[in-house]
Amino acid sequence: MKISFSVNGNPVNVDVDPETPLLWVVRDELKLKATKFGCGKAVCGSCSLHINGDLVRSCSYPVKYAEGKQVTTLEGLSESEKKLHPVQEAWMEINVPQCGYCQPGFMMAAAKLIQEIPNPTEEDIRKNISNICRCGTHPRIIKAILKAAELNKALIAES
Amino acid sequence: MSTENNNPTPKKKRKFSRRKFFKRGGIILGTTLIGVYFGRNIIRRKVAQIAGDMDLPLGIMNMEPDFWFEIMEDNTVLLKLAKMEMGQGIFTGAAMIAAEELGVTVEQINVQPATTKNGPTDMLGTGGSSSTSGMYTPLREVAATMREMLISAAAKIWNVDASTISVGSGILQSGLQQLSYAEVTQQTTEWVVPKTPALKPESEFQYIGKEYKRVDLKPKVMGESIFSIDMELPDMLYATILYCPYIGGTLKSVNSDDAIKHPGVVKVERSDDWIGVIAENRFASVMACRKLKAEWDVPKMWQQSDIDEMIKPENGVSFIKLQKDGSIDDLDKENTFAQTYNTPIGVHAQMEPNGTIAHVQGDKALIITGTQWADNVQGKIAKAIGIKKKNVEIKTTFLGGGFGGRYFQSTAPAAAKLSQLVGKPVHLLRTREEEFQNRYYRPPSHHKLRAKLSEDGMIETIDHVYGSADMAIKANAGDLVLKMLGADFAAGGHGTRVLYNIKNRHSKIVNCKLPFPTGIWRGVGQFPNTFAIESFIDELAIKAGKDPIQFRIDHLTDTGDPLIVRAKKVLETLAEKSGWKSPKREDIGRGVALCEDRKSFAAAMIEVKKVDGKIKVTRVVQVVDPGKIINPDGVRMQVEGATMMGISACLYEATYVKDSQFTATNYHQYPMAMLSDSPEIEVIFTEGSEKPYGVGEPPIGPVAPAIVNAIFDLTGERKRRLPLY
Repeated sequence: MKISFSVNGNPVNVDVDPETPLLWVVRDELKLKATKFGCGKAVCGSCSLHINGDLVRSCSYPVKYAEGKQVTTLEGLSESEKKLHPVQEAWMEINVPQCGYCQPGFMMAAAKLIQEIPNPTEEDIRKNISNICRCGTHPRIIKAILKAAELNKALIAES
Repeated sequence: MSTENNNPTPKKKRKFSRRKFFKRGGIILGTTLIGVYFGRNIIRRKVAQIAGDMDLPLGIMNMEPDFWFEIMEDNTVLLKLAKMEMGQGIFTGAAMIAAEELGVTVEQINVQPATTKNGPTDMLGTGGSSSTSGMYTPLREVAATMREMLISAAAKIWNVDASTISVGSGILQSGLQQLSYAEVTQQTTEWVVPKTPALKPESEFQYIGKEYKRVDLKPKVMGESIFSIDMELPDMLYATILYCPYIGGTLKSVNSDDAIKHPGVVKVERSDDWIGVIAENRFASVMACRKLKAEWDVPKMWQQSDIDEMIKPENGVSFIKLQKDGSIDDLDKENTFAQTYNTPIGVHAQMEPNGTIAHVQGDKALIITGTQWADNVQGKIAKAIGIKKKNVEIKTTFLGGGFGGRYFQSTAPAAAKLSQLVGKPVHLLRTREEEFQNRYYRPPSHHKLRAKLSEDGMIETIDHVYGSADMAIKANAGDLVLKMLGADFAAGGHGTRVLYNIKNRHSKIVNCKLPFPTGIWRGVGQFPNTFAIESFIDELAIKAGKDPIQFRIDHLTDTGDPLIVRAKKVLETLAEKSGWKSPKREDIGRGVALCEDRKSFAAAMIEVKKVDGKIKVTRVVQVVDPGKIINPDGVRMQVEGATMMGISACLYEATYVKDSQFTATNYHQYPMAMLSDSPEIEVIFTEGSEKPYGVGEPPIGPVAPAIVNAIFDLTGERKRRLPLY
């Protein structure tokens, strides 16, 4: 089945089994590899991306539902490598990743969180992000999200 | 992959001084095994002692500088590292260590995983917290040799004496003349290789000991394709494998009619013990795999109660006494304090599932895989598809977590078989369910501790008996070797010994046979042993009516052993800086624990409180002495990570056996610590040695016992079985 949607602002058309999880379409058809496979059950959050601005676990989201929608992956989060999204900038500053595999999912969740809660407390972060990290980067993720929220506020104030 | 390049490489005369390099390589296990077989217990103990005390050798055999380094046209240096980056930060540490002697900045070094073709191979694999300690001197020597080669080449170009040349930031200078490393490399065809030069004294270090961000930070923040799952080859197919879901089960029959009819399926292949489905895309291979109708022969329905019995030391098949100081006969009489402690079966649960991209063409194979032990995979492939080992090229990638889970089993042989079958590259990826249900596990453990206190509240006699299963030896060398050795002291023995100076002190590790594969895990022996011993020490301190930190210090009497001095320092620092002595709120419990592992020390002070009736870890202070620190923030990350994994394993993690299957099938049945479990973590260093020791595993040791000791402090209830929930 042919399905059309946009990814990171670019229109795409794919011809795949409509039940295919969006994750595999993004990774293997569109060659955007930042979004990761972790559990296949929407438990771990490694495959998190945005659809029409909502946070979605793409391993359990059939591509047919993406028809006509706007998908954003980590590759499309920042304007450019020189102008990073506050979340990625904060991740760089706090030196967050270890193995790095779960980090794209965490960053997509973080980007949504600071949009919904511009002034998050540590407790807001703990309660609202349920992604899994095995290396134990949790303390730095919390710090980085607080930092990202600060950077984001500064950006909003500028504009 | 970016390890390939056509840029200039020094061409050189093959006249290396290998003397010094080779001495540091090599593995001694082969020769010690013979002695063990004849000597039984005394020699077993001695061998275990030697293995415990010895610095792990570096298993990298090719120590020629151009195997490690390539000078690139843009005057950066490619460092081809045989140690795998799985999050532990070894690429960053290696770049800093190499830059120190090479005369370049850390930023000028680009670290990439070595392939078996273009770089050094690693006989031992990446693990055991051994990479930094093993590479510290050899990597500096090889870098210094490279620097001297460049200096002597420049001296020849300029016709000056080499002593007039200075280096820095990849630039060679003599008087007013300047050339970059790249320029010298381009102009040089014959290289003179000097004897190993003297190394910089510590006082002249520019990089080692300074704070550096990870060299792999940007690719990881930008989500670049760096993991094996991300790799593609032209015309690649996708494969999913169904393994037997039962312990000890074998494949009886399979009906694959529905699977082969599934759209996109190219081939269904039955092997001896698995069935592989190859398809045009991942989804088709996964869905078709679910349509396989397999029947399995299951010889016995194992239950958790069987495993619990088998792991008891009295049901073990062989043992090795690790300590036998004084006599413990006293413990058979009255007034003996005895307790047992248990830890469950653990899963690695690393975030990137195991997978391999294989392309077999005739008698050659290209393998792309995330493994902790490429050399081992190379041999397995050769065997699996009947080609020569040298014709197997292994390209490794960044690993999406390791924790010991990518050491012994590999998906590569199956991927190679499937590729051979279809004549195309095949991307095999395990489902998360396979990762939980068909692999090797952290073995469960059963500890028996007994002790006697003197009238003044000191431990007079102590005995630790640790029942567990194989962790590395059987997986590596076979069951016979494990029997000869008595038990797995190599990996599992860590932490079995009692660190404290106690006159009558015995410890013993008992090898128990389990019906499923077991293997290494982050701190595989350290984690259960420290939980048991340090919980028990806490119970004794309380019985003696003493402060738990002071009680430990009192048992570290100075014998002139530098390890004891370092252990004491770590505890004293913890008492002083963690707030241990400060007043605390009534709803907070505090606990401490200490561990020594691979000559690194970690002591933790942990605070817990009850939130909605459940224990929550709120604050952790770890004092760590890993010897010389290369990159403080790198060590800090490892300590934070080990702390989180320790909290996770203490509170939540376990899988159980039911009807010959493992109960956890995916993350929802194997809960792990999340952001909501993340406490405030403070890391304090005491550098007690000029040599760097491992830090990936040691700091996991004190976490679980410090938590249960804190719970006792808060509630008066003693937890002796993990996990707590």
